[in-house]
Amino acid sequence: MKVELKNIGKKYEGREDFTLRNINLDIDDKEFCVILGPSGCGKTTLLRMIAGLNSITEGDLLFDGRRVNTVPPKDRDIAMVFQSYALYPHMTVYDNMAFSLSMRKERKKIIDERVRAAAKLLQIEDYLYSKPADISGGQRQRVALGRAIVRNPKVFLMDEPLSNLDAKLREHMRVELVRIHKQLGTTSIYVTHDQTEAMTMATKIVLLDKGKIQQVGKPDDFYNKPSNIFVAKFIGSPTMNIIDGIYKEGKFISKNETIILTPSKEDRIALKGYENKNISIGIRPERFESGGEFGDTFTATIEVVEMLGKEKILHARLSDGSDLVISTPGHYVYNEGEVHKFGFDINAIHFFDTETTMRIN
Amino acid sequence: MKKRKENKEKLYLSDKPPLTLFGKIGIFLTYVVLFAWVYAIVWPLFQMFVSAFNGKQQQYIMANSNFEFSIRHFQYLFTETLYLTWVKNTLIIAGTTALLTLIVVSFTGYAYSRYRFKGRNASLMAIMLIQTIPTFAGITAYFTMHSIVSSIIPQFSRQMMLILIYTGGAIASNTFILKGYIDSVSTELDDAAKIDGCSNFNVYRLIIMPIARPMLTIIALWSFIGPFMDYLLAKVLLTSPQSYTLAAGLYTLVTDFRTMNQPAFAAGGLLTAVPIVILFIALQKQLVSGLTSGSVKG
Repeated sequence: MKVELKNIGKKYEGREDFTLRNINLDIDDKEFCVILGPSGCGKTTLLRMIAGLNSITEGDLLFDGRRVNTVPPKDRDIAMVFQSYALYPHMTVYDNMAFSLSMRKERKKIIDERVRAAAKLLQIEDYLYSKPADISGGQRQRVALGRAIVRNPKVFLMDEPLSNLDAKLREHMRVELVRIHKQLGTTSIYVTHDQTEAMTMATKIVLLDKGKIQQVGKPDDFYNKPSNIFVAKFIGSPTMNIIDGIYKEGKFISKNETIILTPSKEDRIALKGYENKNISIGIRPERFESGGEFGDTFTATIEVVEMLGKEKILHARLSDGSDLVISTPGHYVYNEGEVHKFGFDINAIHFFDTETTMRIN
Repeated sequence: MKKRKENKEKLYLSDKPPLTLFGKIGIFLTYVVLFAWVYAIVWPLFQMFVSAFNGKQQQYIMANSNFEFSIRHFQYLFTETLYLTWVKNTLIIAGTTALLTLIVVSFTGYAYSRYRFKGRNASLMAIMLIQTIPTFAGITAYFTMHSIVSSIIPQFSRQMMLILIYTGGAIASNTFILKGYIDSVSTELDDAAKIDGCSNFNVYRLIIMPIARPMLTIIALWSFIGPFMDYLLAKVLLTSPQSYTLAAGLYTLVTDFRTMNQPAFAAGGLLTAVPIVILFIALQKQLVSGLTSGSVKG
């Protein structure tokens, strides 16, 4: 089902400002859309509005072109997985999963079939008759998913469903969720603050901050073409390096002139109007060239080396005291206290207007 | 092997640091206080128990060592007094009070916990403040209310008035308790139930009520016990011995010289405990809390 948000806004009772405003978003059928953002950005509010648990203050919410603003949650043909799983503690796993169907007065036989099919899909057949209190966190999570699956919903809503699992299980469930999404062929809307989850699972990411959409697009766009400094810094780990400076005579010069950089040809065309203006460049830690024999280079003292195995994260300090994070392959030898020269991958520089923080190239 | 065993006995297994001399004295004193307390509670109960079965006791209970087992006082209670009528009255009043309280508190507790409405905090405060005024202070108002209502509905008896007074008091205090309990249940459960197709009433009936059952049981129990314990209101409001509750009825056995029989009073008191004890045993399973664990991440 296609979900469209037209100029959606939300103001809570007793609050001065709108929590969300002017949200325009199209989520296509069968899309896995991840709503990403730091805590307090309004992402859960947005999801709850789509679910019908929170009212919509202004704007229209359309499901397949039908306005559903005032339709109660049970009639929206949606299912939701909650952060805390919200399993009914007094019911068995089976009853938890069967609950929504029995509320719809479905026939016993059909309920049984659906519950067993979902249990098989999620591999929870063995404890269908246990109470939620008697099973582990990972299993509860599956039950919560199962409860959503049996309804056969048109839209599948998930509110940080993996945040209570341990790291290994989370990694596993990420893949599983995508698999289930494909198997069910529904539209999924997934809320998270974890950029890794967003990057790995989404076909479309929506990044929210301060009640506004910062960027909508594919994971690839987010990493390689962030539309502003906030997006650039939010996506990717370690965080992208942002250096403030000025654009002068076709060159970027950082504040204390420790870094001077000549942009590539294409970038110079994009930067035409920015002569003598403040701009910021962004460069991902892995896009520095070690050795630095070609083009512009700078020298930095390595202060801390974080060894991660496949890569080494270098925390380097420039002569003016500013810090840079540089990622190099794990087998390169770098020691703390050493002074090295580094260059740039000139095709991977992001240019931003310092005042508006918007992307230039 | 033997040596090993000895070692095991010497191992200090407690997680608390070993007691110092002061600590030991402290524990000793604590036990002294506790035993004194237990004595103060158990001794009168024991005396009551003994007197109820002591055939040597006459109209007044005398503290002496003469004892002869007899159920004479119980016989007196059942044949010479209106004991069974009082039991019936009390059970009706207590049962109705418990039922009404449970129904109303269910709604008020849930509403105060889950809904935001105008005057929510103000009314909660009002309920709490009104609690500080003793129920008995409203006695003239009760009489007036009763005479007004009974002039319109002649069937409205003094006993019904009593039920309403007990229920009113129980609703006020228990609303707080239930609200607090439901507050601790995650609202995500409500949301999940709503998406699953529950109306607001069904969310309460199918999801919240089963979870809050231990607390509801306690509330029912308390409001059931209340009429057993209250003497004052029953005595003042109820006029004929036929309509007395147990507390008011039994009291006539120790104050009124015409019907004075202290051992029978003890026997009656002992029997009063029976229905309550039975209820406690029957509801023991429901009283076990901790049903919520596992519903949300824990």
